[in-house]
Amino acid sequence: MILYIPAALFFVGLLLAFGSAGRRRQAATIATLLAAAWSLALLVDPGSVAWAIGPIGASLLLARPGERVNSSFEGLTRRVATIAVALLLALLLAARLPVGENPLLLSAVPWFLGALGAAWFASPIDHLERLQGQVLMVAAASAVILAAVPAGPVTASLAGAMALMPIAGERWRLPGPLQLPVSVTLLGLAAVAVVAAGVGTSIARIVLFDFSVDVSGVILLASAVLLVAGAALTPIGSEWTALLGVLVVSASAPSLRWAALGALIAVATVLTKEGEHLAWIAFGVLGLTPVLQGVATSTSTSTVRVQAVALALGLVLIVLAARAGVIRVLVLPTAGFVVILALAAVTSPNLVRLQWITALGAVLLVARMVVAWLIDRSGRPAIVRDQLLFALLLLGISARDSLGLGALAAALLLIDLAIVRIEVMPERWSGTAARLVLLARSNWPPAVTFAGASMAVIAALQASLALGVLAALVLAGLQLAPLFDGHALAPSPERPRSPLGWAVPAVSIACGVAPALLLRLLRL
Amino acid sequence: MPLAAQALLPFLALLGAAAIVQRRPRRASNGWIAVGATGVAGIIAMVELLRLAPGEHVDVPYLTTVPYADLAIRLDGLSLAFATVTLITAALLMLARLRLHGDRRDPWFGWLLTAAATCAVIFAHNLLLVYIALQLLTLAWTGALDETARRRRAIRLSVQVADIGLLLAAASAIQSVGTSAFSGVPSDTFALPAFVLVLLPVVARVGALAVSAGGPQATVAFEPAIVWVAPAGYLFMRMLALMGGRLPDRPTAVVLFAAATLVALAMAGLALFERSGARRVPLLLVAQAALALALSTGADPLMTVACTWLWLLLVPLAGLASVRVAARSTPEVLTQVNLAMIPGSTAFVGLWLGGLALNARGLVFGIIPVGIAVALSAIAALGRLKRPRSLQVDPPTVWAAGLLLMAAFPIVVMGRLVVPAAATVRLVPGSTVATSPFGIVAGGRPWPALVVSLVVGLALGLATWRLRLRAPTLPSPARGGGKRLIERLRGWRLPGAALPTMPTWGRFVLWGAFAVAVYNVLTRP
Repeated sequence: MILYIPAALFFVGLLLAFGSAGRRRQAATIATLLAAAWSLALLVDPGSVAWAIGPIGASLLLARPGERVNSSFEGLTRRVATIAVALLLALLLAARLPVGENPLLLSAVPWFLGALGAAWFASPIDHLERLQGQVLMVAAASAVILAAVPAGPVTASLAGAMALMPIAGERWRLPGPLQLPVSVTLLGLAAVAVVAAGVGTSIARIVLFDFSVDVSGVILLASAVLLVAGAALTPIGSEWTALLGVLVVSASAPSLRWAALGALIAVATVLTKEGEHLAWIAFGVLGLTPVLQGVATSTSTSTVRVQAVALALGLVLIVLAARAGVIRVLVLPTAGFVVILALAAVTSPNLVRLQWITALGAVLLVARMVVAWLIDRSGRPAIVRDQLLFALLLLGISARDSLGLGALAAALLLIDLAIVRIEVMPERWSGTAARLVLLARSNWPPAVTFAGASMAVIAALQASLALGVLAALVLAGLQLAPLFDGHALAPSPERPRSPLGWAVPAVSIACGVAPALLLRLLRL
Repeated sequence: MPLAAQALLPFLALLGAAAIVQRRPRRASNGWIAVGATGVAGIIAMVELLRLAPGEHVDVPYLTTVPYADLAIRLDGLSLAFATVTLITAALLMLARLRLHGDRRDPWFGWLLTAAATCAVIFAHNLLLVYIALQLLTLAWTGALDETARRRRAIRLSVQVADIGLLLAAASAIQSVGTSAFSGVPSDTFALPAFVLVLLPVVARVGALAVSAGGPQATVAFEPAIVWVAPAGYLFMRMLALMGGRLPDRPTAVVLFAAATLVALAMAGLALFERSGARRVPLLLVAQAALALALSTGADPLMTVACTWLWLLLVPLAGLASVRVAARSTPEVLTQVNLAMIPGSTAFVGLWLGGLALNARGLVFGIIPVGIAVALSAIAALGRLKRPRSLQVDPPTVWAAGLLLMAAFPIVVMGRLVVPAAATVRLVPGSTVATSPFGIVAGGRPWPALVVSLVVGLALGLATWRLRLRAPTLPSPARGGGKRLIERLRGWRLPGAALPTMPTWGRFVLWGAFAVAVYNVLTRP
């Protein structure tokens, strides 16, 4: 009977949270978190309770107004319907992905927590509830993964602490005098990461108690890309968010990795909401992969198949979401590199499945652009070149050829899309410098676009003839894209007159001139 | 001097001159610097070619900055022969530009970079590097760092898209044998699809020659010889070399021969109808290039020598035809004679060799369309030939006369330039072509080149000076030949207004289709 108490506590907290305001509602929300922590303690081990510290702290920081917000009938109906559907979906997932031989109502509590967060995020009554929803989603993701793939108390507490990040992203900016030093430090760290990977010193893993980070070649390269993007392209004062990306790619524990990705999405969507919902759906789909991996032994072998499909679908959705803002600058490369890392474990038959979905995603990207144009020709058109590069990115990532060219193409295109093709060019540049910037953003050699697109075609052909032909067609379209786009670039995420604008063309030319060096890093 | 440094000398000369020219724009001496550097680069390539032993090839690796596209130089008969011809042609074009007045633009920096990029295409050591060099070449000749620039946009984009064929062929080689290097690819690596893919950039460049007809005429156009003909010819011959000197199969050879001959016939026919001399010249050049393609389909040594001759000597001819000369001047007359493909012209030597090869294989009927194309070209080129007003000695005259002398004395280029290049494509036994100061002997048949040249020269001289005979010309049926079609194509726009709008739910259909497809992939066993 005691096994059902967490579920009961959760539902009591849920009802109270929906029916009250102010401190009572805050307490009810904390009760749902305690229920999830209790459930974790019973499912895994008591040490996992450390996870709850972060989400509870975040909930305490999100003080609710004492007065209830007036809501209309339609609004109320929508909220009730949303939470009902979310809870049903959570129950279904918990039933299909059971943890051990535990009762369903016990293992479903972390899923319920995620459903509550998703409902508050999707149909919020105010901004604070929306933020609370993000906190709960991040917390629930780490809890669900912790239940499937247990971790030690330090890792659990760090995974839980990721729930604080949506609030940090909303409320905390680096003080003015620190911004430039932090940016320069991040660039320096990026250089160190590249040099360390280039030298070839292999440090497999850094461990602190039960918390560990991997530092292989791909991870060092990914970290360098994220640090450069964070230093040069994130909104002013938000440079620190790049460190979240680094944590995502380097953390060994899946619970910490995916919670950090959720936190990164939350922080990324503070300023630019475009593509936010798709990004969260992608996070949910991608977050299923470690759970599927964790429960694979206890269910049918079809979980491996679903895992590959989830990986591909999540990647496609992230790419579809990453049109502009920090989602594009940080979330896209982070998710891209995470999928590249995860691909190593995908078997050949499932890789074909993954390639099918990414190829369909590439077609969807182009078709969506055409359909949007056909529906409304007066609206802001999508940047054709970006969409085609996204399509090539999908094909490059999915290629996973023995030569490593797919990963190389993906890395180059991620650099291009996240760093180079963003509008941060200082207007004061002219003459040779302006020409260099023009070259860096063109399809000509030695720009990174040229190297990435060419490598993507070669890699896609290594994977299959169909992928190769599709990639070649996309490349042909890419050559024609300037006819439609002109000089259009994705808008800069609130970083006018950055003193680090020079980093962008420098990175483009450097990567375009020496992709072999990147390949070497990827093979370490 | 180490070989690695020697191989870089042509590039150093060209890029060094480019750097100097860029630092001091609009100086009168820039042209001379460009001519000197390009000429020196051409002479260096020629010296390397002369030093090369028969059948020898040297790969000089430098760096690996792009995976599977090692930065390396390939020195063999084919690359050095093409580099020699191309660079000397480029130097002659620069010299001609220097001697002609009326154009105040300063093209030297762009031309030097273009020559260097063409050199990079020719010396590249692997297919992927050739693809990269072709892109650099396009960038160099257009100068379109800004991709939205309208100048020559249609041709630029067409060529860029066609070049993807080469990228795919390189990718195919990498997939098959792990490299696209010329030394490491077995001759059976490239099947029909790869050959067709490589044919795309070749055809695009030959087509660019025709499309450029009637465009804005500069005093000297650098592109036809250096940007279109030389890379196209080299690329095709290199592909043949990679395939062991023969096409993938007999049907492919027959289809290519037929298609190329038809193109030659069509171009010669169009040239016949074309009234404008400026537009007629590129059509005749395309006809020659098409015949060179047609004769590249054979697998025997004589045919290989024939097509190598045609491709190599088409480069200086295209250069000569790109120099704007006064009407009824000596160089104009000599250029028309060269374009006519009549006996005594450089092209005819190649055609004669090709005809011998076809005859030896029992394909006499194959000679008939080639002969018709030659006849049409001759009528088109000589139809409006007029007596020159005066005899003058200037670079175009010397150049045109030089080409006619090469036809009269094939020994000058056959043994040292053409045969080494052909021998790179496939094995050419020493007895295939024997040369002497009076002519050549191939397949047991002599070609008295000197005598033929003298007789033809005499006959033409009599026709124009004494008898004042004029070959018949036909009126243009469309008043401008293909010009209207080209202009109509240029004026084509996307029919945006005519396209129907889509209802808002259209995007849900799209997402629904995607969801169904993903479900199918998921449930597929």
